[in-house]
Amino acid sequence: MRGLIYQLKSVWNDKFCILSFFLPIIIAFVLKFVGGIDLSSVAEFHFGVLENDLSAQTISWLERYGSVTAYTTQEELIAAINEPSTYMIGVKADGDSIQTLVSGDELNLFRQTADTLPALYIGKENIGHSTILERPDRMAELQTIFIAMTLIVAMFMGCTFNAVNIIAEKESGVDLVNQILPMAQSGYVMQKIFIGFIGGCLSAVLTACCYFRLPQSSTILMLILIVLSSFIAALIGLFIGKFSENFMVGVVYIKMVMILFIAVPLVSYLLEADGLISVLCYFVPSSAAFEGIMNLANSNKPMIAKDVFLLMVHGIIWFLLYLSISSNRFSTYLDK
Amino acid sequence: MWKNFCSLFKKDCQMMLAGKFFLVTFGSLIIYTLFIHFGYINFMHAELYNVYLFDPLGTQQERSEQIYPITSLEEFYAVLSTDANSVGIDISSGIPDIVFYFGSEKVDHHRADYAWYLLHQDNTYPAQIVGTNTPEQKQRKEMSCELLFIEIVAVGFLGVASVLFKEKQMGVIRVHAVLPFKKGVFIISKIMVFLLSDLIFAALITILNIGLEDAVSILPDVLVHTTILSLIMALMGIGCTVLLKDFRQFSLVYLVIAIFAAAPVFLSANTSVKMEWIDYHPFYHIYIGLKHAYFGMPVTNPIYYVGSACGIAILFLIVQTVFRKEMGKEG
Repeated sequence: MRGLIYQLKSVWNDKFCILSFFLPIIIAFVLKFVGGIDLSSVAEFHFGVLENDLSAQTISWLERYGSVTAYTTQEELIAAINEPSTYMIGVKADGDSIQTLVSGDELNLFRQTADTLPALYIGKENIGHSTILERPDRMAELQTIFIAMTLIVAMFMGCTFNAVNIIAEKESGVDLVNQILPMAQSGYVMQKIFIGFIGGCLSAVLTACCYFRLPQSSTILMLILIVLSSFIAALIGLFIGKFSENFMVGVVYIKMVMILFIAVPLVSYLLEADGLISVLCYFVPSSAAFEGIMNLANSNKPMIAKDVFLLMVHGIIWFLLYLSISSNRFSTYLDK
Repeated sequence: MWKNFCSLFKKDCQMMLAGKFFLVTFGSLIIYTLFIHFGYINFMHAELYNVYLFDPLGTQQERSEQIYPITSLEEFYAVLSTDANSVGIDISSGIPDIVFYFGSEKVDHHRADYAWYLLHQDNTYPAQIVGTNTPEQKQRKEMSCELLFIEIVAVGFLGVASVLFKEKQMGVIRVHAVLPFKKGVFIISKIMVFLLSDLIFAALITILNIGLEDAVSILPDVLVHTTILSLIMALMGIGCTVLLKDFRQFSLVYLVIAIFAAAPVFLSANTSVKMEWIDYHPFYHIYIGLKHAYFGMPVTNPIYYVGSACGIAILFLIVQTVFRKEMGKEG
């Protein structure tokens, strides 16, 4: 217990750890704020027209498909079409019909739209019946992916805590003192895990509170996911701390592991990976955590038993591996 | 003075070589170039919606060839569900019914009208082309610009700090205090090394990815904006190094700059999403300037250049003050 208080004191003195702890919570707040930004204009078409060129009916017809901006001169219109940040389609009157203008460097989607727009205009009166099928809001889905990623980062903070803490001890020489203290190696490992584990858990729980409103049963399942993932992240932090010679090497390792933790589940989810690839993805512990979080966020009857089991297996394997490595190193050091 | 500057410049170059700064930059250049040549331009395609037809009675014989016929209703709904952006036409009852999953209101109008148009005709009226770039040229220019910006703002900034923190830890900055040089020369020498490295990087990434012929005409303007961005980032890097205690604190500042400074700029400059406050974001204007330079549209507004010069001058004065303060601790 006494050792644990020293560990907590050492973390408290490290402002880097404290600030890292708040970072995911800030991101969760920002995501809530981003939810208020209207992103629907990204999916719309953008048309540029000349003032007093098209009839009011034609402009309202264009507005059914997207936004319409009027320009006073032809040069301004052409400059707007050629603007590299947007995919604007120019529309001019051409007798009873319309003529479209494009920059020529756009994606096929916009070129095809521009090429077929006059034909759509000609046949605008003959439109039949449509049946629109419901599907989940894509923006909401995108936001859930973002928040699941932020949660993974929050859980990962335990890893950063531990790695930074151990490297700092190495750089200041405290690590050498620790190795000759009359304390069991397993006790030392447990103390170190505990610090990162509690930090990661708290950071992830607060991040989840900022964003999710889950039913009670799902809240318990989310807590289980957070606890297991934070434990594994804390363990990985110990590995990084052990193998980093100095802080810069540690930062490189942390970034690499973080990218791996974020990219693997994200790419696997977006590409809907299956078969052997999806099995391989489970070797990265964040894949099971991400799958579980997405399941909890999107489903009324979440099924996360497989993910919890995988996280438990990861936890046990990483823990045993670390114990065997550290006891080897400890005895090597004593032999020296 | 000039001799002093040369010896300092030589020392800073050696420091960068020892810190593997040039190696990391060269590695990034190779990775970016491979990504553009073999990744981005091969995968960046987007076609208009697929249209599927379920017509068991065979009523539509004169339909467009771009419509894919489907033989059963189950298959029809399955394909719509998998390809959620597509549009289906169900004529099993004899009257065409356009069926699709909800996307967004305005795009859905277009999807329905497009499917209806393909059912009855497939005349196209080729759009008039008013630009000079091909889609591939645009993609190459766009990605070169984005990667150059990321390299200077994120990767380069981290490199600047890692090299300078090494100097700080070794006490080199404080040693400068006892050298008989003008203090501003130290900062100028450092930013010149980073500037030179960024300019060479910008020239190489442009030539390697856009081609020498196209690059020659746009390169002078690209280098102007690269200079502005590089000077700002190098000065910020030096300022952060002197102000912050160690590399750990810096990595947090770096994270804030990388996430909160670059992300809104990319969102506003590459999509039609415009946040009201983005005009106050200095990097936004530099990024737009750089992007326009790549597309042969130089920024003609003098306020941009005057504002950039003033910003760099103010940053220089701040850095000079904190640098003197740091050296003063020793002196």
